[in-house]
Amino acid sequence: MSLNKSALAFAGILLATTALGTGAALAQAKVAIVTPYMAQPGTQFYVEAFQAVAAENDWDVNVIDTAGDVAAVISRIEDLVVQNVDAIVINVDPTQVTAGLQAAKDAGIPVFGMDAGADPLLVTNVTSNGYAMAAETSTYVADRIKGEGNVVMFVFDAFPPVQVRGVVADAVFGNFPDINVLDRVTPDVSDGGIADSRAKMEAILAANPEPGSIKAVWAAWDQPALGALQAIEDAGRSGEGIVITGIDANPQAREAIAAGGNFEASVAQDFAGIGATTAEAVARVLAGEEILQSVTYVPTKLVTVANAAE
Amino acid sequence: MQLFIRRYGTLIGFVAILIFFSVMLPGTFPTARNWLNITQQTSMLMVVAAGMTIVMVMGDFDLSVGSAASLAGIVAALMMAAGQPIWAAVAVALLVGLLGGAFNGAMVSLVGILPFIATLATMTMFSGIAFVVSGGKTISGRAIPEDFGNFARGGIPLGEWGGVAISLPNLSIIAIVVVLAVWVLLEQTTYGRRLYAIGGNMEAAHLSGIAVKRLRLIAFSLTGLAAAAGGLMYASRVASANPVQGSGLMLNAIAAVFLGTTMSRHGEPRILATVVGVIVLGVLDNGLTQMSVDSYVRQVLVGALILLAVAASSVTQGRR
Repeated sequence: MSLNKSALAFAGILLATTALGTGAALAQAKVAIVTPYMAQPGTQFYVEAFQAVAAENDWDVNVIDTAGDVAAVISRIEDLVVQNVDAIVINVDPTQVTAGLQAAKDAGIPVFGMDAGADPLLVTNVTSNGYAMAAETSTYVADRIKGEGNVVMFVFDAFPPVQVRGVVADAVFGNFPDINVLDRVTPDVSDGGIADSRAKMEAILAANPEPGSIKAVWAAWDQPALGALQAIEDAGRSGEGIVITGIDANPQAREAIAAGGNFEASVAQDFAGIGATTAEAVARVLAGEEILQSVTYVPTKLVTVANAAE
Repeated sequence: MQLFIRRYGTLIGFVAILIFFSVMLPGTFPTARNWLNITQQTSMLMVVAAGMTIVMVMGDFDLSVGSAASLAGIVAALMMAAGQPIWAAVAVALLVGLLGGAFNGAMVSLVGILPFIATLATMTMFSGIAFVVSGGKTISGRAIPEDFGNFARGGIPLGEWGGVAISLPNLSIIAIVVVLAVWVLLEQTTYGRRLYAIGGNMEAAHLSGIAVKRLRLIAFSLTGLAAAAGGLMYASRVASANPVQGSGLMLNAIAAVFLGTTMSRHGEPRILATVVGVIVLGVLDNGLTQMSVDSYVRQVLVGALILLAVAASSVTQGRR
């Protein structure tokens, strides 16, 4: 009785699997995306845009979400290598999955990074240009304050992707003889970065009570910009025209920019563009082309009150 | 007949899965290379599940193994980042696991808290400690010595198979050694038999002169030690450590032991049955990935299979 039942159930599961797994024709290129971070909003944009390009190319795309498990990313890459797929796309720090990347390289399967980090084992990593993003906001600040006055910088040099932003802003402000960097603050980020940035900004405001003594706050990412905004508003100094910029254009930052206060600009990464560009890189390699750049940059977009609500 | 199905239903299902994947993926699934991959992919879970089997023999649970694994990885990574030698980092991390397990054991056997509640609490504590000592960051890159990451990529060469060089991965070797050690402990020693006696009837075991408290304390310590070993293997495989990376191991370890219990005579955990349980989970992940089955559908199938196996075994038990 129950042998029949369980045998039936097993058969049912296996049949269902067959139906699910064998939709692909033989001639299609097999491409797999492996990520532990599918639940993060940016990742979904990458994957959807990737799949749109993949559909045009008639690829058989297998999206594998290991739900936060990085070791499972290695395991799934190993499975894909055994399966001999045509290309693999990862969205995880490549230094953590070297074992899998090496297996793919040994089998001659190209692996692409989709905002993953540069690595010799990747054909190319497609991402936003941190230097360019910082150039957008620092030139915005310099132009808005007409090239003169005191600027407060919020930086974080311990984290390489944020460190490069600070380098560019240093160069831009240094190129204006009348811009003086009043303070180069590294906030404590253990609480998310807003609260400590606010406290640091309050101290700087207290030390510079004269209206106009601070012209702008340039932050290497949005959280310190939001903290600085809170400090300026609470100190009753939002009327002084202090210009604040961030980077990343997270929802809270967009809201603040759209409100039309001191927080004037941030930079949005083009997640869909990263996904589509990754797919295009895969298409080029599948067509036999060699990609020389180890990093492929996708343009970013300045967000101001004009487009913050988009 | 009924007894036969109850004991061997899961095994029959396992064989059916193997045949199914072998038919569907003839060129890739039943190959030595793929099976060596599977042993490597399941090695961390194997070690944690082997440790879990020890406490589940007594009818207890340890929900903190995932957090203990994460904590061990973090402790080792922080020590290595601070320039300590690898052996010292590994030794201290294992000691942390052992002490964490002993703390669980003390809560359960000396204080008398239900294992479910005690280890739920320590699960949160260990996880919190891992966050505190690491500052919530992933420790990776140059902070981790290359030799530590290379260990998980190395193995003993076994020669060629179909033109591809294959080797027995180091992680698989560790898993085999741990399973053998737990097998000897549970099946060949008085200690193991006493644990089964406690699992059968704790009161009777106590009255017959078994030092229940001490034995439980030791069992939980060993489970913690195995969890730490699994966490170190994970850290080596990803050449990094973050404070949550072991969290997936706990539920899978319990699932593997439960799958295993459907194969034993009285539904008690047996280490070799746990091994089959772990391999079932690993094979499903491996085969379904190769068949391009959606990863979320895969989760549903794995859950359904566990339910099915346990249901088939308990339904027949109920009718007996």
